[in-house]
Formats: sequence, structure tokens, C-alpha cells
Amino acid sequence: MKALTANRLTDGDVVFWKDGQWVERFADAQLWADDDPAAVEAEGHGKAQGTTVIDVYLIDLIESEGFWAPLSYRERIRALGPTNHPHHGKQAEGGAVVEALQHAHGAARSTGRVNLIKRK
Amino acid sequence: MYQYDTVDRQMLADRTAEFRGQVARRLSGELTEDQFKRLRLMNGLYLQLHAYMLRVAVPYGSLNPTQMRKLAWIGRTYDKGYGHFTTRTNLQFHWIRLKDAPDILDHLATVDMHAIQTSGNCIRNVTADPYAGATAEEVDDPRVWAEALRQWSTFHPEFSLLPRKFKFAITAAPKDRTAARVHDIGLVLRRARDGALGFEVIVGGGMGRTPYIGPTIREFLPANRLMSYMEAILRVYNRHGRRDNNYKARIKILVAALGTEEFTRQVEAEWAKIGDSVDLPDTELARIRGAFTRTGFETLPARSEVFEAAKASNPALARFARNNLKPHKKPGYAIVEISLKGIGETPGDATSEQMEAVADLAERYGQDDIRVTHEQNLVLPHVKLDDVAAVWAGLHAAGIATPNINLVSDIIACPGLDYCALANARAIPIAQHIAEKFRDPDRAEKVGELKIKISGCINACGHHHVGHIGILGVDKKGEEFYQLTLGGSGAEDAALGSSLGPALPYEKVADAVDTLVDVYLRERQDGERFLDTFRRTGVTPFKEAVYADAH
Repeated sequence: MKALTANRLTDGDVVFWKDGQWVERFADAQLWADDDPAAVEAEGHGKAQGTTVIDVYLIDLIESEGFWAPLSYRERIRALGPTNHPHHGKQAEGGAVVEALQHAHGAARSTGRVNLIKRK
Repeated sequence: MYQYDTVDRQMLADRTAEFRGQVARRLSGELTEDQFKRLRLMNGLYLQLHAYMLRVAVPYGSLNPTQMRKLAWIGRTYDKGYGHFTTRTNLQFHWIRLKDAPDILDHLATVDMHAIQTSGNCIRNVTADPYAGATAEEVDDPRVWAEALRQWSTFHPEFSLLPRKFKFAITAAPKDRTAARVHDIGLVLRRARDGALGFEVIVGGGMGRTPYIGPTIREFLPANRLMSYMEAILRVYNRHGRRDNNYKARIKILVAALGTEEFTRQVEAEWAKIGDSVDLPDTELARIRGAFTRTGFETLPARSEVFEAAKASNPALARFARNNLKPHKKPGYAIVEISLKGIGETPGDATSEQMEAVADLAERYGQDDIRVTHEQNLVLPHVKLDDVAAVWAGLHAAGIATPNINLVSDIIACPGLDYCALANARAIPIAQHIAEKFRDPDRAEKVGELKIKISGCINACGHHHVGHIGILGVDKKGEEFYQLTLGGSGAEDAALGSSLGPALPYEKVADAVDTLVDVYLRERQDGERFLDTFRRTGVTPFKEAVYADAH
């Protein structure tokens, strides 16, 4: 599965794509199957929103405790917040999806981010 | 400290106004991100994992209480109530909004602060000895020269777009607290037999992907020729430094490629062409020097009975004094180091309340002087021994009286993967786990001086190459792993650490450090530091112990 992420231009906050909008919680993100062309299409739409978001890229997901979680450790930290301040970032809200992300394994380099760097 | 004049203030006002316009144009879409990115970076504004990060310059690590209070206020108003002091003696705010950045720069400007020279391929903030003006070891006050370098380098049109960033360190004491030999240029002030002041000029040191201990290209540069010689070095670098490959663009690569002799020859040839027209006039040097001349010292006995009595009745104060107090040049005074390495805390972090507490103490007991060290601690350089107990009490109340300066839990750690967009692995939790292992202060004191430095990626912001124990986070088959190096030093006995062995997984690093310390305690002789023992025994006993499980 995949999700689309970016940072919001005005404040740098991590956001996720959902049905044409950017939402703040990973739990609300729209998910696509790996081979779903709609993911790439959404990425194209996201990148066209240069006054709303920056660094738009697709991330890979894995299953964790019955939920989907970002595959890479880096993306899980983005979706949660820094591990040294558990009350900072989106993790402060708690909930099942946050816990699933915190318990997820399968750390890997952020594939989407690598593509982003290569394109630059 | 140096006082801004109207020219300095106007320059800052112009700069913040310009940036406000640039941000507005970015938000309106008039500027693309590619166009805007280099502009925001020139104002210290990065995009990290969770938000923008603003890196505020603390020139040569020197702050007054008003500035510290402003940083505290910005932390409370625009961040999450804290700031992070860095290995370049700057302060980073990690939760900044782009739309707030111009207002923050305006607030900084009200106390003569800014974010200039904290990013981009320019001459960055100069590191100076945090004990400057307070230690008897120094032959001159390095801040005078650091300030001269700041004025020379700020917006220098020729050196604003160098092949890569450029970092200076300057010290005037034989004990190097600036890591001068791993800077692009390290300057060590010396006095010749005839009393003349001059600089040892070290060029081409550095860490990162390709670490070097910098070679000395001039043993004694007459102090009044500093600017022209620096201009010559920068000019050779600007002309021949590589711009085709970011990883090979630092001056250390040029010096290594040309060889020290040829590089020096080119610098000397360029210097001869420049002449002395850019050297600082004596009158200007005297003007700058005047800003650093401190006259407020009282004539005091070397021993304070008040302080001795306080120590005798308060073991915690006595421990603090053993580890955090350093000798001052004036009898009856001390240099007080404030550790930002509370056990289990984030190295270098200070809450707004802690910053305000330090500002209050500096104002009341410390002649309005605060320093930031490249080891991510703070210093009150001028405290009367009679007042140390009160300073300790204030620090203790603020939760920053940790008595561990230069000890095993006084760890440098970069922000790592918890914040930084470049990192491969976390650094902060590794530091926290190691510090927890040495929570017992008796054990930490028994171990003695041990400098652990942790970086979350090869860029080495955490100075891992020069740690007595260096720890580098790497991405190994998608997992956080850590390569350990031993025997590095960023001090006057500078050395690059050598590899201990295969990288260790996240959960094994703190135990490995514990094992390394046990080996040291077993092997050490006659009061050797960890570094001395390692240099005598070599890596073998350490390696055998850490990898025993693997055999």
C-alpha cells in the first residue's frame, strides 16, 4: 500500500493526501494499492500545489497490528513526532493508529524520499 | 561584548525587511520553492521533518542576559517552550512556522541578533574559546579577533557563494576548547619570544564524509596581518575549490588534493598580491578590543571561606564544584560550566524557563556574560567564588545543575532522525540510554574525562570522528545501526577515531559503551584518561570485549 505525504508550506507541518485535500493525521490519509495508478495521479496533483505544500512524495506502507503504517522509520517519525519528546508532534493525540505506528517494525529507507532526492 | 552601532542595526533591519518580502512572495506563489529555498537558507531557515527549523547565530558563542531572555521568549511564543544549542554554538528552534519567521527575525534584531551566516555556502559563525576573557591560559582575548572576522565575513561579496560552507575556530589558549584542528580554518593565537602576537594557521581540517586533521600552513602569522592572510586563503579556495561535486567541495579536499606545500605556496603568492590593504587598522582593532575589556573585577582572596564552608556542608555543591568549576584568571573568581546534559534529557536542549534562569544568574552573579560551548553546554565565565553556592542553587532549582562536565554523560549529540531531514538514524535516544547507564555520579566521576560524540549521519554535526568514543548512525539494510570509533579527539591532541568493528544495532549501543568503559577501568594506569589508555593499548582489548558475544 501507499500514501501521499508532504510538508505544508506555511508551517512545515507533515500532511497526507485525502481525496484532493491535505490532512494532518496519518490515520486519515488516503491509501492506495501498490499498483493503483491513482496514487501517481494524486502525486501529480499534489506537486502542482506549490503554494500549499512542498516535498510531495509517495511512501510505502506495511501492516502493523491490523493497521497500515509507513514502512520507513523516518516516515513513522514524521507521522508521529520526535521520539525524545513523546508529547510533541502528532503522537501526542494518541489512539490506535498512533500506537500501531509506534509498534511497527520493518525500518527501511524512505523509498519515496529517495526518489525525491534523485529527482533534485 | 561587542555593541552594535547604528550601521550594524540598519543592516539587520534591512535584512529582515528583505526577508519579510521574500516570504510574502513565496506565500503568494510569486517565488517557487526552488527560488525561495536558497533565500530562506541564507536566513537560517531550514525545513526539517516536522516543521521549519530556525538556526539563530550566537557569534563566537557569546550572549548577554537580554539576548538569552529574548531567545527564551521566542521559544515560548513561537516554538514549544525550548531551544536547542548546537555544536556550532548556535541555537535552533525546531518547531517554527514559515509565516512567523519574519516576525521572529524582527524580534531577534531588537536584541542585536539574527540568523545570518548560519546556513549557505558562506563563512559561518566563528567558534571561539568559551573561556575567552576568563582563563589565565590565554595569550589574548580570541573574541576580539572572532568579532573582527565576523565583521569582515558578514555579507562579504566575494565570499558569499563559496564552493561550500566555511567554518572558523579561534582560540588563544594551549588547551583547545574549539576543535580548531577539525575546522576549515583553525587559528591558535600565540605569543612569540619577543612578545609579538601571532596566529598558527591551520587549514583544511574537517569532519563529515572525509575527515581530516588540518595541517598547519603557517606557524606564526603576525596578528595584524590576519585579514589579508584569510582573504588569500579564501581566494585560493574560491578559485580552485570544487563546485562540481558537493562531497568534494570543502577546502579540506582542495588542501589534500594540492598537498599542503603547494596549497601554502598558492596562498602565500596570493597574499603577496593582496598586500596589507585589507588588514585591520590598529584604531579599528582597538575599538573592537574596547568592547571586550572588562573592568568589573574586585580584588579578592584566592580562597573563599564562604564557598569552602558551603561545599563542606553540601556534598552536591562540592560535586558540582569538582566537575563544573574551572579556574579563572582573577583570584576569587571561577568559570562556571552549566551542563545541558541532564541524565535522560536531550543534549543541548534548554527550556525557556532554564534560559531565563541562566539569564537571571548571569545578571546577578555573572557580569552579564553567558557563553555557549561547542559541546552544547553554557558557561558563566565570571562568577565570584563567594557566589558559586547561590549560582548552584539557582541552577539546581532550574534543573540544570548536572555535575558532569567532561564526564561520560556529557555527550554531544546532533538532533538526528528525530528532527533532521538528512539523518539516517537517531542520535538523541542513544545519548539518553548511555547517560542512564552512568546515572550514578560516583561511577561517572570514577570514569573521569570521557567524551562521547554521536552523529545521526555522515555529515558529523555530532563530531563523532573526534569523540574519545564516536558513534555514527547508519542505515544498514533499512535498520538503524551504529558504527563506533575510538581514540578521536577534537582538542589540542586532535586525532580521528579508528573503527571498533562492525556496526551495532540500536539496542546494543549503550551496553557496548558500558563494556568499553569496563575495559578502560580494568586496563587504565596511573590516572590515565580513557583516551590515554586507548592510545596505549590500542583497539584490541576493547574490540574483544564488545564483540565477545559474536565469537
